[in-house]
Amino acid sequence: MKFRITSPAGPGWLAALFLLLAGALTTATAKDLKFQAYLVWAANTDKSPDPRHKPVEEEVRRKLRELPLRWSNYFEVNRVTFVVPEGKSGTASLSEKCKIEVADVNGQHVEVSLIGKGEPVLKRTQPLAKGKMLVLGGDAPDSTGWLVVLKRTD
Amino acid sequence: MNAEQELKLQSFLDGELPEAEAREVAAWLARDADAKALHSELRHTRQALKQSEPNALLPESREFFWSKIQRDIARLEPTPAATPAVSPFRWLRRLLVPTGSLAALALAVLVAGGQFGWFSGRLAPATETAMANASTFTYHDEANGTTLVWVSFPAETEIAQPAAN
Repeated sequence: MKFRITSPAGPGWLAALFLLLAGALTTATAKDLKFQAYLVWAANTDKSPDPRHKPVEEEVRRKLRELPLRWSNYFEVNRVTFVVPEGKSGTASLSEKCKIEVADVNGQHVEVSLIGKGEPVLKRTQPLAKGKMLVLGGDAPDSTGWLVVLKRTD
Repeated sequence: MNAEQELKLQSFLDGELPEAEAREVAAWLARDADAKALHSELRHTRQALKQSEPNALLPESREFFWSKIQRDIARLEPTPAATPAVSPFRWLRRLLVPTGSLAALALAVLVAGGQFGWFSGRLAPATETAMANASTFTYHDEANGTTLVWVSFPAETEIAQPAAN
């Protein structure tokens, strides 16, 4: 049997083949998840006692202000950028006492584990699309607070 | 009276003669008693035939009536053009091309949706597990795409306290 590429059905087959190849290539491309994690100290003072602390970047500050938190100022204590390979996990140490572990679950959810003083404090599994943020927080002495901000950048 | 004259009388009776000739025959009938008698006989014969002629009408049966309607309908309906025979391969190709294209498109949408997170917001809800001595509450800001999980934990534990404090 001889198939003619100029037959009316030819473009349809070619389009289907192209789409299949494109889908297969896209699937074959490993997709890593990129994150930025911030350790933030929340207070109502204008300045942090630690001169190394600086106000959080504008985008993070704006989103924190939209949350039901009672503080007016947020200071960035530490920032870590890390990558989670597809289907695997990555860890970011934000301080001596605090680190988070992020795992890719089926490419759709992330499992975020907060570890304080080496002990698991919280484990949360949720979708986290690009540009979205997950904020974990708690009270600190002197009516201040701590926040761990996890932002997916890609 | 010869045969030609008899035929002329018959034609006069049937109204087949031209006007001038009919006038001549009428004058001839007025003066010739034999001709008049023959004309009268012919007229009576004709009238007798007309009255005794049976007026037979064939009744239409129900089947014949409906068959006429069917024939009229068939005559008015356009006859379908003869379709050429389609080979099985051609038929299969006609079926598979659009089906395959749709399947490929759906697959591409699924793959792209998975890659770009189009469906990430429609998946299973989030799950959360906290330590035994900690409780949490969760707040989700849909507009900013931010989720807050607040851990009610003794502040003195300083699990994430900045070093400056």
